[in-house]
Amino acid sequence: MKSVKSIGRTDLPPQQQRVLRSAIRWEWFTIAYTIVTIVLIALVLGGSQAMRTAWIEDILSLLPQISFLVALLFIRRRPTRAFPYGLHRAMGIGHLVAGVALLAVGGILAFEAISLLVRAEHPAIGTVRVFGQTVWLGWFMVAVMTVTAIGPFFYGHAKSKLAPTLHNKVLYADADMAKADWTSTVASIVGVLGVGIGWWWLDGVAALFISLGIMWDGWRNSRGAVLDLIDQRARTHDDKHVHPLAGEVVELLAALPWVEAVSVRMRDMGQVFHIEAFVVPRRGSVSLARLEDAHERIVRLDWKVQDVQVIPVRELPEEAER
Amino acid sequence: MNGRGAARCTTADRRAPKRTVAAVTMLIAATVLSGCGIRIPADPDGTLDRITDGTLRVGASPSGSLVVTTDGQPEGSLVDLVEGFAEERDARVEWTVDSEEDLVDGLAAGGLDLAIGGMTDNTPWADRVSVTRGYPDVPGAGGASVVILLPMGENALQAALEAYLDEELSR
Repeated sequence: MKSVKSIGRTDLPPQQQRVLRSAIRWEWFTIAYTIVTIVLIALVLGGSQAMRTAWIEDILSLLPQISFLVALLFIRRRPTRAFPYGLHRAMGIGHLVAGVALLAVGGILAFEAISLLVRAEHPAIGTVRVFGQTVWLGWFMVAVMTVTAIGPFFYGHAKSKLAPTLHNKVLYADADMAKADWTSTVASIVGVLGVGIGWWWLDGVAALFISLGIMWDGWRNSRGAVLDLIDQRARTHDDKHVHPLAGEVVELLAALPWVEAVSVRMRDMGQVFHIEAFVVPRRGSVSLARLEDAHERIVRLDWKVQDVQVIPVRELPEEAER
Repeated sequence: MNGRGAARCTTADRRAPKRTVAAVTMLIAATVLSGCGIRIPADPDGTLDRITDGTLRVGASPSGSLVVTTDGQPEGSLVDLVEGFAEERDARVEWTVDSEEDLVDGLAAGGLDLAIGGMTDNTPWADRVSVTRGYPDVPGAGGASVVILLPMGENALQAALEAYLDEELSR
């Protein structure tokens, strides 16, 4: 992928360009690593529902990376007459699709796990013949799961460092899931060892645990994506706090001598914000030069705010941030 | 960036404990139990232990030269293999000759320990019973991957049987 210097009308500062390049490399690396993982697990897949669930989770874990890379192809385009706001929402749509897929498949897997437990079906794990020895397949499952657990730990932490700089929620959610991936790995190992010692139900319990984890990831992602797509006020990359930029814009404008009162509406387009700043000018009028100056000051605040309207009004709208 | 980094750690950790505690508890439980001299794999219903020095109840369904029944008594290459396995475990074989479906019902209901016949590794019964690996070298199989059926999830029995067949058929 060519290096991305701008997204929509926004020119990326050098730091963001660098971080974005790094994020793209990490996403490709993750995809390659995950494909190897999927093949390795497929080779040892036996009758364990926990293994099957962990395997499907690995396949699903490709969705955030794919949606990130695909969305990147769209959001880099400049706004056109047909798409005057740019294509920033592509990131949110990718996020939503990944979230819904996780939620749905997680639900199916949870149902499968429960019905296996209810039917008291004992999982069958046979043997394989390697170098003239007959070895229980379960040992290979444990070995493969242990080896494949290493990767997510590294790329999870790497990506979670990059996400805040880019204000990218798909990247952040992806990193967050990778960091929690080891719990599924441990659960699948527990399930297999449970089958090994004759506790057949431990396999179903582990599968249920993993699938509930998938559902939880799906719920969080869908919820976050929907809230941004329906234009909740902009929040931080982890959705934990209201984004401080809105307050900074209010402060900046309120400090201007010609401004009597100010309020701001700020929504997250995915990566970048769209800001409408309402100002009540003193003595009921304001020159074009002052409005342009105010606009200029806001744009200089942060790279994420380049789509800004400063709107002179007689009265501030009720719902805007003051 | 540093300030935000600190906030991120706490938010990630706040959610992690529930999953972490559950996962670690299960891991410890499994490790401790597997360290108590329990054989892995084990049978949930203890079939291997029961047949050792006991009775191996085998169902047979006639198929080519693998299983031939003369006067209700099964013979053939698969029958010989099962007799050999029973001998290794000091077990006496109790034969039942029936149709494939009745044998599968017998395995699922706990009335049989093994079932033999013309079943291959493509057998449609795999969702009701455990199926061994395919053995194309069984005399008379004609290259088809012959399998033996056993009760679902009796993994110690399956491991013992597969180890025996590996040994016997690689000679």
